[in-house]
Amino acid sequence: MSISDAGILSRSRIRTIVTSRPFLTFAIVALVWIVASFVSRGFGAYGHLRYLVELAAVIGIVAAGQTFVVIAGGIDLSVAAIVTVAAVGLPLFAIDADPTGLTPILAVLAMTTVIGLVNGLGVALLRVHPMIMTLAMATFLQGLLIIIAGGSAVTASNPLVSWVGNARPFGVPAGILVWVVVSVVVLVVMHATPFGARLFAMGAGPLAAKLSGVPIATTTMAVYGISGFMAGLAGIIVLGMNGQGYVGIGDPYLLASIAAVVLGGTSILGGLGTYAGSIPGAILLVTITALITVVNASPGWRSILFGTLILVLLLLSGREAARR
Amino acid sequence: MSDTSLASQSGTALYLAIQRKRNIGVRSLFLVVLAFLVAYGVLFPGLFTATGFAKFTQSWFPLALVAMAQAILMLTGGISLAIGALVSLGAVVAATTMTGPLGVTGGTLLVCVVGLGIGAATGLIVVKLRLPAIVVTLAGSFIIAGAALLVLPRPGGAIPDWLSNSLAGNTPAAFGVLVVIVLAWKLYLATPLGLSLYAAGEHPVGAYRSGVPVDAARIAAYAISGLLCTGAGLFVAAQTGSGDPIIGNSFTLNSIAAAVLGGIGFLGGQGTMRGALAGSLLLSLMISVMFFLGFTPVAQYVAQGLIIIGAVALPQFRMRAK
Amino acid sequence: MSAPILAARGVSKGFFGNPVLRSVSIELMPGRVHALLGENGAGKSTLINLLSGALRPDSGTIEIDGQAVGHHSPSEARRAGIAVVQQELSLTSSLSIAENIGLGAYPRRHGLVDYGALAARAGAACDLVGLHEPLATPVGDLSLGRRQMVEIAKALYRKPRVLILDEPTSSLSATETRILTGLLERLRAEGVAILYISHRLEEVMRLCQHVTVLKDGTCTADRSLEGVNAAGLVRLMVGRDPGDLFPHWTSTRTADTAIAISGFSAGAMQDVALDIKAGEVLGIGGLVGQGQEDLLLGLYGAIPAKVASATVNGAPGLPANVPDANRRGLAYVPADRKREGLHLIHPIITNLMLPAFARMPALKLRSRSAERETAMRLATQFAIKGDLGRAAQALSGGNQQKVALAKWMPHDPSVLLLNDPTRGVDVETKREIYNMLSGFAASGKAVILLSSDTPELVHLCDRVAVVREGKIATVLDHGELSEEAIVAAAMGAEREREAA
Repeated sequence: MSISDAGILSRSRIRTIVTSRPFLTFAIVALVWIVASFVSRGFGAYGHLRYLVELAAVIGIVAAGQTFVVIAGGIDLSVAAIVTVAAVGLPLFAIDADPTGLTPILAVLAMTTVIGLVNGLGVALLRVHPMIMTLAMATFLQGLLIIIAGGSAVTASNPLVSWVGNARPFGVPAGILVWVVVSVVVLVVMHATPFGARLFAMGAGPLAAKLSGVPIATTTMAVYGISGFMAGLAGIIVLGMNGQGYVGIGDPYLLASIAAVVLGGTSILGGLGTYAGSIPGAILLVTITALITVVNASPGWRSILFGTLILVLLLLSGREAARR
Repeated sequence: MSDTSLASQSGTALYLAIQRKRNIGVRSLFLVVLAFLVAYGVLFPGLFTATGFAKFTQSWFPLALVAMAQAILMLTGGISLAIGALVSLGAVVAATTMTGPLGVTGGTLLVCVVGLGIGAATGLIVVKLRLPAIVVTLAGSFIIAGAALLVLPRPGGAIPDWLSNSLAGNTPAAFGVLVVIVLAWKLYLATPLGLSLYAAGEHPVGAYRSGVPVDAARIAAYAISGLLCTGAGLFVAAQTGSGDPIIGNSFTLNSIAAAVLGGIGFLGGQGTMRGALAGSLLLSLMISVMFFLGFTPVAQYVAQGLIIIGAVALPQFRMRAK
Repeated sequence: MSAPILAARGVSKGFFGNPVLRSVSIELMPGRVHALLGENGAGKSTLINLLSGALRPDSGTIEIDGQAVGHHSPSEARRAGIAVVQQELSLTSSLSIAENIGLGAYPRRHGLVDYGALAARAGAACDLVGLHEPLATPVGDLSLGRRQMVEIAKALYRKPRVLILDEPTSSLSATETRILTGLLERLRAEGVAILYISHRLEEVMRLCQHVTVLKDGTCTADRSLEGVNAAGLVRLMVGRDPGDLFPHWTSTRTADTAIAISGFSAGAMQDVALDIKAGEVLGIGGLVGQGQEDLLLGLYGAIPAKVASATVNGAPGLPANVPDANRRGLAYVPADRKREGLHLIHPIITNLMLPAFARMPALKLRSRSAERETAMRLATQFAIKGDLGRAAQALSGGNQQKVALAKWMPHDPSVLLLNDPTRGVDVETKREIYNMLSGFAASGKAVILLSSDTPELVHLCDRVAVVREGKIATVLDHGELSEEAIVAAAMGAEREREAA
């Protein structure tokens, strides 16, 4: 290959990156931040932006699981309930023998992963539509939560959980650090392993994937298991940030996780997309919410603004041709 | 096998034959619903009194409407996550207008216009702008819920007593209204636009090439769906006598559950409205039976989740057993 | 002859900057069957879509009765009497036969569908194509071939002056094809202009009077078919001498058993016994939809199968699932490329590597350079044209089929299960695929070839198992093979009934 060929290649590669959805979403976030910091004093302050990213970390981690599921052609509507299960359930695992607080965390993560695996079991083996399976799971968990919490808030006294929610090693909130680690692992698994490639194949056409030898059942279960794990992790961080867990604490994260995935350019129909888009998608969502709070409107107007902005952003970038 | 004088077959005969064939797919579902009805009747003989029947159909009515609303969309290959928000909006619009200068007639009209308008607007965005329905209705649910909060920030408003009493009193008026709605649906399905729904859902491109107004059929479906949702909201407001901006929330999930229980598929063009209605009746029966058996809300949630999964997974097992 | 009813004059059309048609003209005359030939990707479907108003030309005009049409749309075309029988079935399975036939053109009374008029008119159309199922039958209950007949009845229902048929016979049985042939003759006599697209040259020879040939989006021939023979037709299409479509047959069958089954049941197939040797090409023939596909899928572990005894590549028992089948050296190439064979929205390279991804350890790091190398090698070996980074939907049907076949080669399967590998594939690619098949057999692989194209079975196979009603009716040796023998075996039941 000649030198000029290489030059053309890299230039075309730069063009692909610049016109890619993740990059565009990042660009929108940057633009909104710059404009907002001129309009609103204090919006552009480092502390405020850091706070936004910290909030985005929770959405981003839930969206990591959701991205896996959506790319593989499904959807997980039980993430909100799983976040709540983790946040409410963790204080119940108070084990005095372990002063680090690691054991309860591992136990909760194992539990939420199992919940996800059960979702996967229903989708893969019972062939229940993902929307129904995960909605039914959410209903089921809702009942379970009332048994566990009985409607009152529970306080966490787990040192590790408090650390994750409040500590700032090197000035960076621990939640953001967890998100960075999650992002790197997720991106590698998604784009650099055969497992990732199988997901895309399943989402683009489950029948063709099956006939090519992709183990559909185990992959589906793994995907929902990952989503359960991520929602559990997010629940622990939320608990740490809040100090208290209560029924309904996870509710905002269902719509947010789906919106982050779609705003980031992943096709809701499956088979196309990347977590690299969901990351700026999560930050964009938090930014929009913050802006709406700045406007100081009534809850009704806030809700209308939020919905309209998501719709407008979709119009700007989210069109996809119908395919079957 | 068939009569050779097909050409002389009368239109009514053909129409009825087609309707009979459509029953085949939902026959087993009808049996299950019937079994539940009998069980319910045995457990609570009150069902067979006028009041008991009225109360039961009233608890079923809004669920039947939202199941139809969701089923129409699923038949065209769409879906709506804004059903609950629309029900709430219908309820608060009814509760704030009916005792005002608009009166019951004006209020009812306004509820209908709001439902049709928002439905049509959603349809236009999904169909003409080619955005995925699930995401549009998700965003739309925020806008509609916000609008409901603007109309009525906290529970309040009022519905004239006579309306509450006639719709949700001791007469089976709700059942009568439901029968009228179902007949109107049959009539719509007998129009060329209504019948196009199935083709537009299953094979949009092929239908378009056959000269079917695919876009119009889909947008009309969204409009009708919106109308049914706000109508359900009006009824819920009449039941409670006032409006509540979040009263409809649970209907989103239940509408999907009822439609799927009734055999409506997610891919478009699969299933029948009678199936969706039977599904909503089944769900309603399940909730009532659990309530009367004294299930705690917890157990109700748990049982409902399990039953929905079971009902959806069952045909799969049967198919595999074959 | 009189003036053309429908004509395209100098039409061009491109998609995403790729020109698909360049200044093509065609005239459809009343009372003439006009053949439209060309390899896959030559632009036939695009031309049909332009003529029927489903697409609008970038330049050039569509004329109806000599008048240029401004806004050509499907409903406009229908009003002008243009009806199309699409290649891809687009019927609505939950609607009845009558409702499908009238779709988009229902008779109305007081704003409602007039079921009386619909019954009369749809019934008449069904009588024409020999469709005797009750009109109220849901189309979802019909076999593929019957659905195709409904599709044709749907076109006739519109009382067309111009009838366009896009590969109408690809899923029809011999009887149905005969009915269609007679029907087209009659319509022609009544003065209907017919445009006929088919890959079956003998049909074209028998039916058509005039031919237009497309190659790479331009018109390379527009002439009467008088005095043209089959070889001449192929010459017109590929632009050179056809030679022999099939490679010279030599048996490479060995004594080693690749697959032996007895008492095998899967889907519609009941109690099948077969013994397939390494190096053999075993054909599976029969009328469309007799359960042949279930035989392949059952062997492949893709649908549940029962068996009394089975040996697959020396190991006992059938594969439990597809990954197990792959591990045991089986590979399957499906008939439905778009849904089962490929992921059209994914790049060619990803499609080529998918079986590898499916069997590698799930979390092993991928090597992009190694993938690229493998894919390039396959592309060269199979003459797959096009940039490997582009989506597979950009490929022509023939090239897509080659991708669906090539992706298995890195894993060196010892048994190839091929489901109608040349359906809707152009002549040139057919020849390439035939040569590959002989090559596979010669290298000691067992090939099971399910085909709806009878000449293929005759010329390529060591033996042909003819399936009828879920059973193997007979197994013909190469020496006994002829198109007549296969068709006779496939229809055996009907004959017996007639004789009785």
